Amino acid sequence: MSPKTENRILATPIVLFLLVMLGFPAVLDILYSFSEVSFENLRSPTLNGGKNFIKVVNDPEFWAASWFSLKFGVATALSECILGLVLAVYLAPIIRKNNWMIAVLIMPMIIAPAMMGLMYRLVLHEFVGSLPHYLYLWLGDSPAFLSRENVFLTVFTIETLQWTPFAFLLIYMAYEAIPSEMREAASVDGTRPWRMFWFIEVPQMAPTLAVAFFIRFIDGFRVFDNIFVLTGAGAGGSTTSLSIYIYLSFFRSGDIGKALAASVILFCVAFVILFFAGRLLRRDRA
Amino acid sequence: MRKSNKYLATAAAALLAVLPSLASAEVTVLGWPGGPEEVALRAAAKLYNSNADVSEDNKVKLIFFSRDGFYDKLQADLAAGTDAFDANLLATYSIGRYAPYLKPVTLSDNAAEVFGDAVLKTMQFEGQQFGVPTDLSLHFLYYRTDLIQELLEDASQHDKYGDISEEYLGVRLSPKDPDNWSWQDFAANALYFTKSVNSDSPTRYGTVLQLKNLLFNMMVFHSLPRAYGADWMDADGNITVDSEAFREALGLFKILVDAGATPKDSFSYEYAEANAAFGAGQVAAMMQWNAAAADLMDAKKTPVTATVTATIAPPTGPEGRFTHVHGLGLGVNASGKNVAGAEAFVQWMSTSEAATTYALNGGAPGLSAEVVAGIASERPDLVPLGQFASNYGFVMTGGTSAKALSVYELQAKEFTGFLSGGQSLDEALAKTATGMAELLK
Repeated sequence: MSPKTENRILATPIVLFLLVMLGFPAVLDILYSFSEVSFENLRSPTLNGGKNFIKVVNDPEFWAASWFSLKFGVATALSECILGLVLAVYLAPIIRKNNWMIAVLIMPMIIAPAMMGLMYRLVLHEFVGSLPHYLYLWLGDSPAFLSRENVFLTVFTIETLQWTPFAFLLIYMAYEAIPSEMREAASVDGTRPWRMFWFIEVPQMAPTLAVAFFIRFIDGFRVFDNIFVLTGAGAGGSTTSLSIYIYLSFFRSGDIGKALAASVILFCVAFVILFFAGRLLRRDRA
Repeated sequence: MRKSNKYLATAAAALLAVLPSLASAEVTVLGWPGGPEEVALRAAAKLYNSNADVSEDNKVKLIFFSRDGFYDKLQADLAAGTDAFDANLLATYSIGRYAPYLKPVTLSDNAAEVFGDAVLKTMQFEGQQFGVPTDLSLHFLYYRTDLIQELLEDASQHDKYGDISEEYLGVRLSPKDPDNWSWQDFAANALYFTKSVNSDSPTRYGTVLQLKNLLFNMMVFHSLPRAYGADWMDADGNITVDSEAFREALGLFKILVDAGATPKDSFSYEYAEANAAFGAGQVAAMMQWNAAAADLMDAKKTPVTATVTATIAPPTGPEGRFTHVHGLGLGVNASGKNVAGAEAFVQWMSTSEAATTYALNGGAPGLSAEVVAGIASERPDLVPLGQFASNYGFVMTGGTSAKALSVYELQAKEFTGFLSGGQSLDEALAKTATGMAELLK
C-alpha cells in the first residue's frame, strides 16, 4: 500500500466525523436560512429566497445585539490582554520560584461560564449576596449591579475576571520564552527597564498578544451562557448579545429561518475577520 | 484471545444485549425541575413504584432539565420526535404548542371528584384532555402581618401614609386591611414601607417586583392590568394591549420602580430572588406565585418572616379582583418508548391517593373541597387555592394559543424596556401591539 493511500485511509474516519458533525449541520443551517421554517414544519421547510436575510438586516434588534457583542468583545478582549500582560510581567519572578501559583491563577477558567453566571447571581443579590452585604455594612449602601445603567459594566467585569487568566497564561509563556541573552545584552547596553519592556519584550510577545486578543475577542463576541443566566436578555433587551438574539429568535419566537439567517451572517463576518487577522499575523511573522 | 478476555467479551456482549431492554422497560417522566414540584413528583413516583400492581416494565424513572429554557428545549425535543421520555410536563399556556406531539389521555374515573372540572380544564385543549393536572399556579398577595397591624393601629402614622400616597399617586389614602386593598392601596403601602420614601420605614423596600425580562414575570404582572379590565384581544380578534388598563398598570409599576419601592436589581429578579428579598425581612408585601407559600411560611426555611407572613388573593381594581391562573401537569409523549406505561402512570396521578401524596410533599394541586379537607391541617395554603381559582382566576384571550409563550416573551421585553427607562410607554405598547398582531394572527 502506498503512503498516499495509507494516509487517505487513516484520515477517512476523522474526515467522515467532521463531515457528519460539522458539515451536515452547516448545510442544514444554510438551507433553513433560506426557508420558511418553524417547529411545526421542521421536516418540510419551504424555500423563501432571501426573505430571512432581509428580515434580519431590517431588524433594529439585530443591530442592537451586534453592537452589544462588538462592544463587549472588544472591551473584554482588551482588558483581559492588558491585565494578563501586567500580571505576567509583574508575577513572572515570583512564579519562576513558585510554579504552583499558575494553577491557582487559572482556576476561574475551570468554572463553566453558566456556573459563573449563577454564582454571581447569588453573590450580587442584595439580600443574600456577600458583596452587597459588606457594602451595606461598610458604606451603608450598595449599587444596583444589574440595573440597566450598570449591567454592562457588571457583565464586563465578570467576563474579565473569569478569562484574564487565559490571556495571562498565553502571555506568561511568551514572556518566559524571550531569550535571556537578549535582556542581558540590552542591560549591558544600559537600556532602562521601561524601554526594555516597550521596545524589546512587547515586540517579542506581539504575535502572542495578537492571538490572545483574537481568541478572547471571538469568545467575548459570541458570549451567551454567563449573561443569559445572570440577566437573560436584560431589561428591554439591554444585554442581548448576538448569540442571545439568535437563541431568542430560534426558541422563543420560533422563527427558525430568521435565527439561522442571523447565524449565517455571523459566520460570514467572523470568517472575514479571522481571514484578515490570519493575514495580519502571517505578515507580522514574515 | 486469552480465556479471561473471552469471558469479559461474553459478559460485555450479554450486558449490551440486556441494556436496551432495561432502558425501555420503564416509564421515563420529564418533570418540572428544582422546586417543590420536583420534590412532590419524586414522592409520588416512589409511591407508584412501590405499588405491587406496577410491573417492573412500568416503573417510573424521573428526569429533569434545567428550568432555564425548559419549554424551548421541550419544544425542540418534541418537534424532533424524541423518545427520551414517555411523559412530560405541560402547562396550560403551552398545551396548544405541544398538542401535535402529545397523545390525549384518559384519567381515572374519579378524577373529576379529586380535582373538579375547572381544574381539569386547565389541561384541556380543543375539548380533549391532554394531561393530568398536578399543580395549580396562581398568585397570592404575601404580606407582613406584624408591619401592617402596627400601621393600622398607629393612628399617628396615618397622616404620613396619606401624604405619601397623595404625593406619589395623586390620591389621599389611608391604611387598610390587605384583604380590602385596591391596587392603589398596594402601591401606597409599598411606598410607605420604602426607606427612600419614608426614612422611618422598618423595611428597606415596600414591595419586590419581579422585573427580569422573563415570560413568567409577565404572568405575575397580569393580575394588575386585568383588575383594570385588560385583555389581549377582543371578541373580534383585535389586539387590545394598547389600552387604558395596561397604561394604568404599567404606570403604577413605573411609579414604584422610580420611587425605589422595589429592590434596585429588580430587573434581574424572578421567583427565587423575590422570595429571598421577602424572606430577608426587608419587604412589606409582594405578589408571588402560590407555590412560594410552602417555603415562605415554613419557619425552618424562612426563619425571619415565616411566622408573620400571611397570604390573600391579589388586590382589586375597578373591574374586580383577579389572579392569573394556569395549571402544570403531565402529558403523554406520542413518540415515547413506553406510551402505555406512561398512560397508566398519568391515570394513576389523577387518583386521590396520588394527588394527596403529591400535595403532602410540597406540590400544589388544585383539589376539590372534599379531598383538600383531608390534608388541610398539613397544607392549609391549599384550601384557598381552588376557591381563588374559581372566584378570581382568569386567562387572557389567546393565552392558550400556540404562540402564547411568545406573546409573554414579547411583553416581557417591551414592558421591562419601558419600566427600566429604555423607551416610552407609547413606544412599548405600540411595539407590543404590532408584535402580538403578528403572533396571534
